[in-house]
Amino acid sequence: MGAFTYYISTLVVYFGIDLLSAWSLNLQYGYAGVINFSFIIFQAIGAYIASTVVLGPDTGINAYQTYLFGANLPWPVPLILAALAGAALSAVIGVFALRRIRRDYQAAVMLIVSLIALQVVSADVHLFNGSNGLTGIPKPLEGALNVSLASYQWIYAAFVLAICAVVYVIVQKLCRSSWGRSLRAIRDQEDAAISIGLNPTLLRLEVFILGGAIAGLSGGLLVEFIGAWSPGAWGYAETFVIFTAVLVGGVGNNRGVILGIFLVPILFLELPRFLPAFGYPGLIDAIEWMVIGALWMLGLLVRPRGLIPERRFVAVRGGSGAIAFDGAAPGFFGRLLMVGRGDGVPMRRRAATVAQPAPPADKATAGSASERTELS
Amino acid sequence: MRAKRSAAVGLALAAGIGLAACGTSNVSSTGTGSSSAKGPIVEGAVIAYTGTNAFEGGVTDSGVYPAMYEINKAGGILGHQLNIETVDTRGDPADALPAAQKLLATTSNLVGITGAGTTSGPTLIPLFNSNKMVVMSSAGEARYDRSAYQYFWRLVPPDPANGEAMALWAQKHGFTRIAAVFGTDSGSQGDLPGVLQGISKIHAKLVANVSLTPDQPSYRPEVEQVLAAHPQVIMTESDGATAATFFGEMKQLGQLVPIYGTQGTVTNSWLNPVRGAIGASNFQKYYTAIVGGTPKPSPALQAFVQGVKAESSKVPSPASQWFGNPYAQAFYDGVIVQALAMQAAKSTSPSVYNNYIMKVTAPGPGKEKVYTFAQGKAALAAGKQIQYMGASGPVLFDKYHNSFGNEAAESLSANGTPTVLGIITERAIEKLG
Amino acid sequence: MHLFVQSLGFGVVTASIIAIGAMGFTLQFGLTNVLNLSFGSLMTVGGFVAYLAESAGINVWIGLVLGGLAGAASTLIIGKTIFKVYARRGTRLFEMVMVTLALALIIEYAVDAISRDQIYQLTFPQGTTFNVGAISITAAQLAIVIIGIGIFIALEVMLKMTRLGKALRAMAVDPSLARSCGIPTDRIINTTWLVSGFLCGVAGVVFVINALSVDSYTGTLFLPSVLAAAILGGVGSPGGALVASLVLGVVTELVAAAGGSAYSTVAAFGVLVVVLLSRPSGVLTAASRKVELTV
Repeated sequence: MGAFTYYISTLVVYFGIDLLSAWSLNLQYGYAGVINFSFIIFQAIGAYIASTVVLGPDTGINAYQTYLFGANLPWPVPLILAALAGAALSAVIGVFALRRIRRDYQAAVMLIVSLIALQVVSADVHLFNGSNGLTGIPKPLEGALNVSLASYQWIYAAFVLAICAVVYVIVQKLCRSSWGRSLRAIRDQEDAAISIGLNPTLLRLEVFILGGAIAGLSGGLLVEFIGAWSPGAWGYAETFVIFTAVLVGGVGNNRGVILGIFLVPILFLELPRFLPAFGYPGLIDAIEWMVIGALWMLGLLVRPRGLIPERRFVAVRGGSGAIAFDGAAPGFFGRLLMVGRGDGVPMRRRAATVAQPAPPADKATAGSASERTELS
Repeated sequence: MRAKRSAAVGLALAAGIGLAACGTSNVSSTGTGSSSAKGPIVEGAVIAYTGTNAFEGGVTDSGVYPAMYEINKAGGILGHQLNIETVDTRGDPADALPAAQKLLATTSNLVGITGAGTTSGPTLIPLFNSNKMVVMSSAGEARYDRSAYQYFWRLVPPDPANGEAMALWAQKHGFTRIAAVFGTDSGSQGDLPGVLQGISKIHAKLVANVSLTPDQPSYRPEVEQVLAAHPQVIMTESDGATAATFFGEMKQLGQLVPIYGTQGTVTNSWLNPVRGAIGASNFQKYYTAIVGGTPKPSPALQAFVQGVKAESSKVPSPASQWFGNPYAQAFYDGVIVQALAMQAAKSTSPSVYNNYIMKVTAPGPGKEKVYTFAQGKAALAAGKQIQYMGASGPVLFDKYHNSFGNEAAESLSANGTPTVLGIITERAIEKLG
Repeated sequence: MHLFVQSLGFGVVTASIIAIGAMGFTLQFGLTNVLNLSFGSLMTVGGFVAYLAESAGINVWIGLVLGGLAGAASTLIIGKTIFKVYARRGTRLFEMVMVTLALALIIEYAVDAISRDQIYQLTFPQGTTFNVGAISITAAQLAIVIIGIGIFIALEVMLKMTRLGKALRAMAVDPSLARSCGIPTDRIINTTWLVSGFLCGVAGVVFVINALSVDSYTGTLFLPSVLAAAILGGVGSPGGALVASLVLGVVTELVAAAGGSAYSTVAAFGVLVVVLLSRPSGVLTAASRKVELTV
C-alpha cells in the first residue's frame, strides 16, 4: 500500500485540475454556448507562465533551456500570474474569434488556433524551449514544509481540492446571478436577447476570459505539481477529453461534470494502465482516443445534455402578464419565479418529458416563449 | 454539495485501490534456464514508446532485453529470473508521473529502472529516488553532471559531450566554417547546445544555424541559406524524413559537403531515408557519425550482440542496427551492472545493492575483470572482487554517479555496420571544457 | 532577393496543394453547410492510399486517382450515414461541427492504429528540375500546379456551364425552393459528397507526393491552411479558394524564406484574422443569414 500513496494522491491532484478545466469549459460551452476548441492552450499558457516566473532569469549560459519572462517570484504569485496569463490570451483570441460569426466558424477558428499554437511553441525554442519544454520547476514551499514527498503530494492534493471548492462556489454564484442568466439567454435565444438589450459578443468575451483565467490557474497548479511542461502535454486532442467529460456529465451542470471528470479522464484513461500490454506501443493510446471520439459523438446523439442535465430555470408569466425570459434584463428579475432550485421540485423529470434540446438557435425560429411557458 | 464532492473523491480513491487488486503487468521474459523456485524480479523500462520521443523506447528495449537474456541464460540473479516491464511515458511528464507511480505501486518485485529520459527524467528521478529505487537514467541534461540523488546512475554521456566531440573531430580535419542544421524536435534540440558550445570552444565559425520544423513538404529556403553560407561541414540531427528532404534538396540545388551526425542519427529511421535521398555512394562519402562509447570488440560486446539477436523479436527490426548503437550498449551495461551489484550484495533490495554498484565497476588492485554477467556471477561466487567491463567499455562512475566514456567517429555501411574512423577521448573532451 | 523570388515559386506549389483541398472543402461546405473538420484526416487517408499504391508498385498517377476515389467513397459514406443521422435528429450547425471533429479524432487515430504509429517514406521520382530565372521547380511539383489549375477549370465549367452546376448553385442558395422546383436534391447532395471527397483525397496524395512522407497526423497538420483558404475565399467559391490559396501559399513561403519557418503557418493564419476583422460584409454576415444543414 505504501507505494500506492503516490499514485492515488497524484490522481486526486489530476482530478482537481481536470475539475477546474471542466468547470471552465462548462461555463463557456454549457452556459454561454461558446465552443472553445482551443481550451488546452489556455491551460498551457498558465503552465508555461507559472514555470518561467520561478525558473529565474534565462541566463543563456547553461542553455539547456531557453524561455521568455524568466523571473524569481515567490509563491503564490506564479499561480496568480498563470490565471492572468490565461485571461489575457483569452482576451486576445476572443476579440477576433468571438465576433458575430456563425458559431461553427468560431469553433473552427479556435481549432486552428490550437493547432498552430502547438506547432509554433514546438518549433520556436526561444519561446518556451520548444518541444523539449521546461523542466526543473521547483515545487512550491517544498523547503518550507520540509516533509516527505508522499506527504507533500497529499498536502498539495488538499490544496488543489480547496482551490476547486473556492472556484466552484464562485462559478455557481456567477451562473445563478443575472449575468449567468444573461449567458443562457444569449445561448438559447440570441435574437431575443439582443432585443432586450443584451450584448452577446461582449457577454461571450467575458465568459471566455473568465474561463481562460480558470484554465490558466489549472495549468499553473498542474505544472507546480509535476515540475515540467512540454508540448506533449497539450496536443489539440487533450481539449476533447474534458469536452467529453462535460458532455457525459451534463452540459450546463457544474455538479454533473464532477461525475463526468471522474468517469472520463480518471477512470477511463487510468484503467488501461492495468491492462496487459497488447499490440505495438501506442495501440492502446490510439484506441483510447477513438473511444473518446465515439463517446463524444454518442453524447451528442443521444443525450445532448449529459447524464445529469442542467436544471431548468423556468420563467412563468409575471404579474403584468408579460412573458419573461429567464435571462432578461435586470428589470425583469423581480417578476421571475425560480423553481427547481434545490426545493425538491423534480424539475429534471419534468424537463426530460419535454423535447430535449431547445429549438435550433441558428435557425432562430420564433415561438421561443411558448416553449418556456410550456414547462410551467 | 460538499458531501457530494468528497464522495466523488472518495470514489476516486476507492477505484484506485480497487484497481490495484486487478493490477496486471506488461511483463515479458525469456524462459531460458529457469531452474529456481524463487519468483521473478522486474526491471522497469520507463521511457517514451509513443509521441515525439518514441525513438527512445526502441533504443531502450534494444539494451534491456539483451541484458535480460544474458542474465536469465546464466541462471538469473540470486536464483530469480529477471523480467522486463515496459512503461510508456509518452514523452509527457504529466503522463509519466502516474504511469511511474502505478508501476511502483503495483510491482512489489521491482528491483530497478532503466530510462526516465530527457523530458520526463526531471519529474521521475526525484520520485524514484525518494522511493529508494535504483534508476539507470538516460536523461542527457548537463544538470545531472553533479547529481545529488543517491539512487540515480547515468551511463550515457551528458548531451554536450557528443557535440563537443563533433567539434573536435572537425578541428582535426581543419574545418573552420561549420553549419548547424537541427530539427526542432525534442531529441535534436537537446543535442544542439552541445554542438554550439563545441564550435565556440574550438573557435570555429558558425556560418549558419538552421532550424528545421518537421513535416514540411520542402526545406529549400533553409537549403539555400546553408549553401549561401558555404560551410565546410554540416553538423546535424533531426528526424529521418526531415533530414531526407533537406539533404535531398541540397543535392538537387547545389553541392553536398561533409555531414557529421550526432549519435541521435545512428538509427535506421534516420540512416535509410537519408541514404535513399542522396544515394549510397554520396552517403558513404559525406556522412560521419560521432557516437559515445568505445566500440572495441570485446567479449562484452559479443555477449550484447548475441543478446540482441536472441531477443530480435523484442527490438525494432532489423536487429543489426543496434549492434553498434552506443545508447543500447549503455542500457545493456546498466542492467548487467545492477544484476552484478545484486549478486555482490546478496540482495535484490535496491536500498542494499545500490551501495555495491561502485564495487562491481570501479577498477582496483586484485580485481578480476569480467565481461559478462555469467563471468561476474562465477567470480563473485568464488569470493573474488570484480570490475565489470561493459559492451560500451569500462564503466567508471564518478562521485556523482556519472560515467562519461570516450566518443568515436564512425562511417556506416549499408547494413549499419560501423567502421571506426577515430576515437575522441574523454580526456580531450574534458580538456576542451 | 534571390531567395524571395525563389520562394515565390515554392509558394505557387504550396498554393496548389492548399487550393485542391480548399476547393473541395468550399464546395462541400457551400452546399451542405457542414463545417467538416474531418476533412484533414480524410486527406491523410488519401495520402496513405497513395503510399500503399506506391509500395504495391502502382503508377503514381493511378495512385492519385485511387487516393481521390478513397476520399470520395469515405466522404459519401460519412455524409449519407453519420451526418444524415445527426441532421435528422435536429442537430444544430454548431453541434455538427463538434460531430465532425469527433469524427476527425476517430479517423486520425484509426489511421494511427492501422499504421502502427509510424512515419512512412515514399520515393516518388521527382523528375528533372526546371530552372526559370531564380525559380527552380521539379517535374513533380510542376505536375501538382497543373493538377491544381486543371481541377479549378473543371469545377468552373461544371458549376457554370452544366445543368448539374446550375442545380448545385440553386441548392446552395435555397435548398427548399430548389426542391420544390423539381431539382433532385438527393442526387445533387450525393454528387457534392463525391466530388468534394475526391478532391480531398487528391489533395492528400499531392501533399504526400511533395512531402514524400506520411503519418496519421499529416492531414490534420494541413487542415488549418485548407480551412483558412476556404473561409478567406468565400464559401462555395472555387475561384475564391484558388486566389486565397495563392495568397496563403506565397505568404507562407515568404515568411519561411525570411527565416521564420516556425511562423509560416501563423502568417497564413494572420491573413485569415485580418480578413475576419476587416471584411464584415464577407464571412461575418453569415451569422444573420438563415442557414441550415443540407445533407
